[in-house]
Amino acid sequence: MNIRVRDKDLDASTGGIVRGGETLKQHRDRIMDATKQTGCYAGMETMALRDSQPILYNKLFSRLRAGVVDARETAKKIAASPIVEQEGELCFTLYNAAGDSILTSTGIIIHVGTMGAAIKYMIENGWEHNPGVRDKDIFCNNDSLIGNVHPCDIHTIVPIFWEGELIGWVGGVTHVIDTGAVGPGSMATGQVQRFGDGYSITCRKVGENDTLFRDWLHESQRMVRTTRYWMLDERTRIAGCHMIRKLVEEVISEEGIDAYWKFAYEAVEHGRLGLQNRIKAMTIPGKYRQVGFVDVPYAHPDVRVPSDFAKLDTIMHAPSEITIRGDGTWRLDFEGSSRWGWHTYNAHQVSFTSGIWVMMTQTLIPSEMINDGAAYGTEFRLPKGTWMNPDDRRVAFSYSWHFLVSAWTALWRGLSRSYFGRGYLEEVNAGNANTSNWLQGGGFNQYDEIHAVNSFECAANGTGATAVQDGLSHAAAIWNPEGDMGDMEIWELAEPLVYLGRQIKASSGGAGKYRGGCGFESLRLVWNAKDWTMFFMGNGHISSDWGLMGGYPAASGYRFAAHDTGLKELIASGKPIPLGGDTDPQNPVWDDLIKGAVIKRDKQAITTEEMFADYDLYLNYMRGGPGFGDPLDRVPQSVVDDLNGGYLIERFALSVYGVVAKKEADGAYVLDAPATEERRVAIRKQRIATSVPTRDWMRGEREKILAKDAGTQVRQMFAASFKLGPRFEADFRSFWDLPESWILTEEEIGVPHYGSRYSMDVSELPDVKTVQFVEE
Amino acid sequence: MNIHSPTNRNVQVLGIDAGGTMTDTFFVDSDGDFVVGKAQSTPQNEALGLIASSEDGLGNWGLSLDAALKQLQTGVYSGTAMLNRVVQRKGLKCGLIVNRGLEDFHRMGRAIQAYLGYAYEDRIHLNTHRYDPPLVPRNLTRGVVERIDMSGTVVIPLREDSVREAARELIAADVEGIVISLLHSYKNPAHERRVRDIVTEEIGRSGKTIPVFASADYYPVRKETHRTNTTILEGYAAEPSRQTLKKISDAFKDRGTKFDFRVMATHGGTISWKAKELARTIVSGPIGGVIGAKYLGEVLGYNNIACSDIGGTSFDVALITQGELTIKNDPDMARLVLSLPLVAMDSVGAGAGSFIRLDPYTKAIKLGPDSAGYRVGVCWKESGIETVTVSDCHMVLGYLNPDNFLGGAVKLDRQRSVDAIKTQLADPLGLSVEDAAAGVIELLDSDLRDYLRSMISGKGYSPQSFVCFSYGGAGPVHTYGYTEGLGFEDVIVPAWAAGFSAFGCAAADFEYRYDKSLDINLAPDAPADQREAAAKTLQAAWEELTHNVLEEFKLNGYAPEQVTLQPGYRMQYRGQLNDLEIESPLPNASTAEDWEQLVDAFNTTYGRVYAASARSPELGYSVTGAIMRGAVPIPKPKIPKEPLEGETPPEEAKIGTRKFYRKKRWVDAQLYRMEALRPGNRVVGPAIIESDATTFVVPDGFETFLDGHRLFHLKEV
Repeated sequence: MNIRVRDKDLDASTGGIVRGGETLKQHRDRIMDATKQTGCYAGMETMALRDSQPILYNKLFSRLRAGVVDARETAKKIAASPIVEQEGELCFTLYNAAGDSILTSTGIIIHVGTMGAAIKYMIENGWEHNPGVRDKDIFCNNDSLIGNVHPCDIHTIVPIFWEGELIGWVGGVTHVIDTGAVGPGSMATGQVQRFGDGYSITCRKVGENDTLFRDWLHESQRMVRTTRYWMLDERTRIAGCHMIRKLVEEVISEEGIDAYWKFAYEAVEHGRLGLQNRIKAMTIPGKYRQVGFVDVPYAHPDVRVPSDFAKLDTIMHAPSEITIRGDGTWRLDFEGSSRWGWHTYNAHQVSFTSGIWVMMTQTLIPSEMINDGAAYGTEFRLPKGTWMNPDDRRVAFSYSWHFLVSAWTALWRGLSRSYFGRGYLEEVNAGNANTSNWLQGGGFNQYDEIHAVNSFECAANGTGATAVQDGLSHAAAIWNPEGDMGDMEIWELAEPLVYLGRQIKASSGGAGKYRGGCGFESLRLVWNAKDWTMFFMGNGHISSDWGLMGGYPAASGYRFAAHDTGLKELIASGKPIPLGGDTDPQNPVWDDLIKGAVIKRDKQAITTEEMFADYDLYLNYMRGGPGFGDPLDRVPQSVVDDLNGGYLIERFALSVYGVVAKKEADGAYVLDAPATEERRVAIRKQRIATSVPTRDWMRGEREKILAKDAGTQVRQMFAASFKLGPRFEADFRSFWDLPESWILTEEEIGVPHYGSRYSMDVSELPDVKTVQFVEE
Repeated sequence: MNIHSPTNRNVQVLGIDAGGTMTDTFFVDSDGDFVVGKAQSTPQNEALGLIASSEDGLGNWGLSLDAALKQLQTGVYSGTAMLNRVVQRKGLKCGLIVNRGLEDFHRMGRAIQAYLGYAYEDRIHLNTHRYDPPLVPRNLTRGVVERIDMSGTVVIPLREDSVREAARELIAADVEGIVISLLHSYKNPAHERRVRDIVTEEIGRSGKTIPVFASADYYPVRKETHRTNTTILEGYAAEPSRQTLKKISDAFKDRGTKFDFRVMATHGGTISWKAKELARTIVSGPIGGVIGAKYLGEVLGYNNIACSDIGGTSFDVALITQGELTIKNDPDMARLVLSLPLVAMDSVGAGAGSFIRLDPYTKAIKLGPDSAGYRVGVCWKESGIETVTVSDCHMVLGYLNPDNFLGGAVKLDRQRSVDAIKTQLADPLGLSVEDAAAGVIELLDSDLRDYLRSMISGKGYSPQSFVCFSYGGAGPVHTYGYTEGLGFEDVIVPAWAAGFSAFGCAAADFEYRYDKSLDINLAPDAPADQREAAAKTLQAAWEELTHNVLEEFKLNGYAPEQVTLQPGYRMQYRGQLNDLEIESPLPNASTAEDWEQLVDAFNTTYGRVYAASARSPELGYSVTGAIMRGAVPIPKPKIPKEPLEGETPPEEAKIGTRKFYRKKRWVDAQLYRMEALRPGNRVVGPAIIESDATTFVVPDGFETFLDGHRLFHLKEV
């Protein structure tokens, strides 16, 4: 296909802005039609530039990609927010005229897809004519209804023109610290509808001639709590976009517009083929099924929501089926997933699919050839009405990651089985951690300003074990493999919270022949805050990841907070105070040191704004990753090393690993090898003694299902999944051999299911054309 | 390449590059002529190798060591010993004292140290991430009870009993150094200094001698991971180096020198070996090469230079863009985040001496990170080395001349390499000996190539706009391998490649740099009296630093009027986390108008580095630091310029042929003697150009041209 339309091919009246004279809409339609007809991006069954001038093609790629990476490294120094400057929660991506990404920097690369979706929304909804798309315009977007992950990820999008014609776009995104939601912090909990999520901007033109409009500046800066961070984040994004625009102009002036134009489309097809080849090389064709769950514990009094219909405990359900075909194409189907809900964990289809693709770049396609080609190489089916493809414009998104990370960890297991089968043992990964806790809150800070905090320490969770070694401890997050827990001295500049502990969290990684990486925990003392609040956000009752091939899941979360601690007096009198980690939460040490304090120590790991005063305590616990293989196969000395290194609580050496260790006079553990051998034999015998044949077990389980003998939350979860996923219900029915008369509905359970019958999608609003990216 | 001059010499400057394998010396006389000497490094007593290398070099001028040393005015030392000690984790056994409750932070490496130094692909490829062992293990880390907040206010007073307990335990554990790093000590050092004094007291009581390093005394800057790593380096790696430098200085003084040796420092100038912050010299050797490349670039007109240096133990890359060195203030080095002003450069622990092993379970080939260093490899029988090194692979493949290593000073035995590679690598991998050896070289080359590429692209450039300088003893052996396909504008191998870092040291300025943290904050609409006060605060800091700089020079015999001073400052918009280093447009500042000029200079630089739209003057300005640099002129080497002769090398340059293996076939490589090649000569591969000090490999598909400056230009044909 000829990507460029020459002027003579078009009616003079058309007068579009895209190079060659098409309108944006004509251009995208033509590219999409050709893609559909041929299966190749833009109908490119051959790649003219790459085939005839491979050196030039590679030069273009390497130069542009390096420039995009450098723009990110440079621009992030402008920011004042540690989330951007230290954690690197930003990303820059270059797009072709149709809004498909060509290449990207590192960072939060989920937004390769979400910013592309914003460009496509502008294209489909006639932005070209109103408000117009001109050279040096600046657009801003954070609308989750058209693809953004959550409102705190703010996009700046700048069109790129060459000789008066649009030839592409560049997008920059940062995770801002506050979006003016009901509660402070970028991912506030408590609101149950989008209207409480904070400032929402839909592809708004916020500047022209490279200058921001004054009305935009005044409005946006008062819509959020943390104005200075907001301003400098915006400058970071704009500076990065302008650096990349300049780079593109330089490259074109040196290599010619024709070469660049071809490259901008061939690179996408190249990316699609790259994924296909990788799938062929790394996996085994077939179907892979797996499932993910996580808790939404909203019945607890510490979750203060405005609506009675949201006040219940539910479970997120995300069964998935990966189908890999012999030709390297594949399909991901999430039939059976639960409905969106009255909480802030819903996700748009674009963020769901883009995020999966981020996961793939960490394992299946870790190459510099990361672009929308992978999206065109992947078929998704997300049933409409599920939490990953909501059919109602009221849904809230502010912490969609709670569900996303819990659904995706299952995909690691599916792919890892395939890697294992092919012998790529080093690539096996038992799954990503639940990337929490999120320490958030706000009030007046140590500078006496209105403030919000959002610790990003959980960018350094434990990682899943591989089939040859332990997971890495306190290292990474699914949404950004370049983990960084940040220097404490920098967090203390941003938060009126003093560190009393930062310690590796023992036993937080799942046990296994190779254990999951451990997370860590930070103990924070409230200091110099006024009218201060904080809350917790993470999994508590459910381990959202699973172990693989006998490995254990990571430990789930819990919360620890203490008020009225009396620490001021304890400090003054030189008495022992809580320091370091809450090493064994089942046998706590701190609680006795602060007798009389009001302590919150339970599995309620999601809360809403709670008042804190100086000398109160808050424990920020970052989760570990899941394990691989039977713990009884772990090299006993490794278990002893874990004890000595603080990665394992002593009693689990014996009970989980069957390892007997003795403590020497110097405090170090040493292995008792014969006793260990004996103990392991005994555990294996015990396992056989308590096991039952699968058929017998299933018979018993079937009886329970027939009797609907399950917790309210489990019944509600299945009833919702059955309603949205008829095939899931049919599979369930046939697997358990259930009679036709067995029916489970939400109506019979007796808990609110507000929203299960009536919904209205954003596409039903007047003059709105949403862009469809998945099969529904 | 040595230039001989008949006149009576006055030897003025000595540059030293003590690598892990070879010690190079570079002497410059009053006419700018220079001579290179080489000898094997002698890590047990570096002075021995240094004297041997000097005698080797001066021999070319027919000078005795004693005669030359009496004339010498100054000497600059650089070496890789400290870096290698860190990369290989072979430093001193140090104890670490931090806040109680935070004892894990050093080993946690801020998570970032799990992928530092990785190329793009591996940065996103999670399963490749890994941590190196911490410099101080957890069991030698102790916590003391105290806390100071970000503004320097005491939150928890220091509990001295916890300090004594920590000190006694570490002393009992026989540590060789104790490092103290408490949160926010850069802001309020009182607790940290008190801990230091108590620890010192306890050491005194124990009767032992253990040096103590408090971070506030060394690197008083924010970010505890950086500051702690850097301070640990003082104890872990720099103290052994100081002992070495003292020995060298004494050995030379015994032979008649009258000056104290200077050491190449991370900021690109040279400092005395007595300087307190000696960890600043951690990458001195490689920086010497960068300074040399910059100097050569200035003389010959190269603006963008990629400097690459392979020695026996490491591969170092630095970029000069638009003729300027880049200074990083919180750089990473050896996969550690640090807080030093550093000529931006990166280093991997892979060189010609790197050991090669097979993973017993996966049969994966592992290069390094440890190295045979000066002991070459199995091919040198007397070395006692039993594990195959990269040099053994060179030996098998015909890259190296077994009879002319160091001009024949060390006799190597190819058969020993063949046998070792067969049993250790080839048989387990099911390969022939030459294919196993070639595989290792290919692997190393592609690692180095990716590294070079990621360094350049990480800066946002492409190799096409860069000239690549390749030097170091083993550089020219690998030049073709790690530049192939990258498309550099030009690839240059100086004929004195092996002595290039020493050459750079000889070309370095004698420069002291002092930094002081400041906390000047001004609102955008600050009245004139506040601006004037701000200018005066900065000026007071400059005066204090000037005093320090002049004192240092006085020790070295320079009068104040000989010193050129350049003030600088670090500025940012209020509230930002990153500042910019600005060279002051004014020699001093005292008025509101002066302040405005400083602000203007900052705004101009900010717009250039970032983008005009990123300027945020409405936030106001902060000056976070004052800088004073002072330099004195020293004699620098002259670059040779000879007329071009014909393209065909003279017959006497040809010294036979050798079997050479690459890409699955043996070919006959033409051998040349480097010193006999003439300016203008063109050599087409397969060829090997040998000199005593280095070997330049030109495989088939490549050719090289020797220009009038004695620089080889390598290109793919």
